[in-house]
Amino acid sequence: MTAIIRATSALKVYLDGKDEFEVESGHTVRETLVRLNIKPELIALVVLDGEQKTKDYIIQDGDVIKVLAVIGGG
Amino acid sequence: MNGYGGKILRVNLTTGKITKEQTPADVARDFIGGRGFGAYFLYKEVPQGADPLGPDNKLIISSGPMSGLMIPGAGKCDFTTKSPLTGGYASASMGGHFTAEIKYAGLDSIILEGISPKPVYLFINDDKIELRDAKEFWGMGTISVEKQFKDKLGEEYQVAVIGPGGENVVPYACINHDFGRQAGRGGVGAVMGVKKVKAIVIHGTKSIPVSDTTAYRQAGKALYKACKDASFLAEWTRYGTTVVTSWCDEVGALPTRNFSAGSFEDGKNLYGSVMRDKIVITDKGCFGCPSPCGKYSRSKKYSSYVEGPEYETIGLMGSNLGISDIEAVAQANLLADDAGLDTISAGNAIGWAMECYENGIFTKTDTDGVDLRFGNVEATFELIGKISRKEGLGALLSEGVKKASQKIGKGSEKFAIHVKGMEQSAYATHNATAMLLAYMTCDVGAHHNRAWAITYDLQVGRDLVVPEKVARVIWLQNFRPMFDVLGGCRLQWVELGIDRDLYIPALEAITGIHRTWVDYEKVGERIWNLTRMFWARENNGFGRSWDLPAPRFYEEAPKSGATKGQITKIEDVHRLLDMYYEQRGWNKDGMPTPERLSALNLAELVA
Repeated sequence: MTAIIRATSALKVYLDGKDEFEVESGHTVRETLVRLNIKPELIALVVLDGEQKTKDYIIQDGDVIKVLAVIGGG
Repeated sequence: MNGYGGKILRVNLTTGKITKEQTPADVARDFIGGRGFGAYFLYKEVPQGADPLGPDNKLIISSGPMSGLMIPGAGKCDFTTKSPLTGGYASASMGGHFTAEIKYAGLDSIILEGISPKPVYLFINDDKIELRDAKEFWGMGTISVEKQFKDKLGEEYQVAVIGPGGENVVPYACINHDFGRQAGRGGVGAVMGVKKVKAIVIHGTKSIPVSDTTAYRQAGKALYKACKDASFLAEWTRYGTTVVTSWCDEVGALPTRNFSAGSFEDGKNLYGSVMRDKIVITDKGCFGCPSPCGKYSRSKKYSSYVEGPEYETIGLMGSNLGISDIEAVAQANLLADDAGLDTISAGNAIGWAMECYENGIFTKTDTDGVDLRFGNVEATFELIGKISRKEGLGALLSEGVKKASQKIGKGSEKFAIHVKGMEQSAYATHNATAMLLAYMTCDVGAHHNRAWAITYDLQVGRDLVVPEKVARVIWLQNFRPMFDVLGGCRLQWVELGIDRDLYIPALEAITGIHRTWVDYEKVGERIWNLTRMFWARENNGFGRSWDLPAPRFYEEAPKSGATKGQITKIEDVHRLLDMYYEQRGWNKDGMPTPERLSALNLAELVA
């Protein structure tokens, strides 16, 4: 059961140089980030279909979750 | 000169005389434009010891080589002056469309000098430049005045206007433009107000000369393509700066109750997604922007519209005041905009007052009978008005937290959250040493926009005190403000993550001068050292003690939230400064050495 995490280019280093990565569904965004070795606190925004989700959102099959790393700020 | 309007406009308000001179090529070479011109003219022309509110201070308003051209984000204007809030260097960057008209009118800088005997506004239509009577507008809020000018003169005129805050010379009064953009910090509005200039209205129709039109178009298109292809364009546009609100709350950076903590238990009601659902009706952008991050909002509760609130206002007038209603924050934003007050400094001042009241330092006698506890929305609205009119408690708060706490004493200085007299912007730094250093060493006081380093703290370890963090802060300080020098917005690089090397061919095609980012950062370093020398020249005993943060950040660990129990040690504060001064080539008290000044070609200017 899979979904896709799509990330800002700053996170490519964690995703084998890719900006898109297939992940298992059924876990929270937070747990999934930890499994990918990405510190959850580096992620400012989690978006599904244009809507902001929290890191406690449980990933469903077929989701394409975009995660925005906080690189630059204000 | 390619890329420039070509002339410096001088307006002597005392005599009414208006003159133009050629923009000096050597100043353009060494300081480029925008904030660079501001720093140069400030140091050179404002005499040592000048009263910021006297006739010898100047307000220097500058566009840059990017401004008004088809480059993403080409809409920024710099306002530089000697600050009535801090007594040091002030520079505020204003978005919108004003900067483009400066170039189209054939100008690079507008320098306001002296003091007008009566309220005036400066009218510029290409070469028709006049000081006109502003009596009918004096006393009015910024929004209606801008609307009147737009109705009377036409939409193509751009307006910069002060409100009652500036007219009453509140030291953190701002300048408003395009109904929701500001030159916010350091009291640039107070200087405009003491000079009795209510507004500048400007329209130009001249062309901007560029060195290679074909290459400029190509490079501009490449920049726009990079923005359009950015994977987070849609999300950045949707949320704007409110994208960080939830993150700041999560990591303990959201200022809460006068920076006593970094997480707010009711913070969720202020998050970007909540704001978008509740009040945002459209996105608003500046000149040439492909990623409009301004949020235009409608509050049903207060029957009002406002551009905003931005993250800073959400922090300082929301969580910092214990207020969790996003509509109330939007309304406070509107009141401050119309009055012409910096929302960051005003929010800080009100937060300080609330803490004084909750500690018993203020009683109801001091607060004009108001129960001034954290969370009191109506009191916040009232205080914004009172600060702008210097009335009641507003008179004390209008002085800023440094002076107000010095007057009141009773330990209130410990929770006056400022550096160098400028109130801290919306990142709580109990445990984030790079960001703390950024605030300590920012050239205008505790502002975040030079070196936004807090992610770096989280990446490498928030409490680490290591040379790499210091190097990062210095690099950001030399690089990020170059956008203010160039007259453009940094957020396409910052937020969309476009490759900064795409700007190089564009700028070369415009100016005809080849510069790499190393060259631009050298200019950034030059300006950084010049403004440091300005602080030293204007303030006896300037040095390390002026770089210290608010005691709260090394004495009082938060009792709740993500940074509960976490605090920076004062020894680490000094270690950070030791490393910073060394890496900057300054002496142990934080002053640029003669060798550094020579290397930056500043020795003659600061002699």
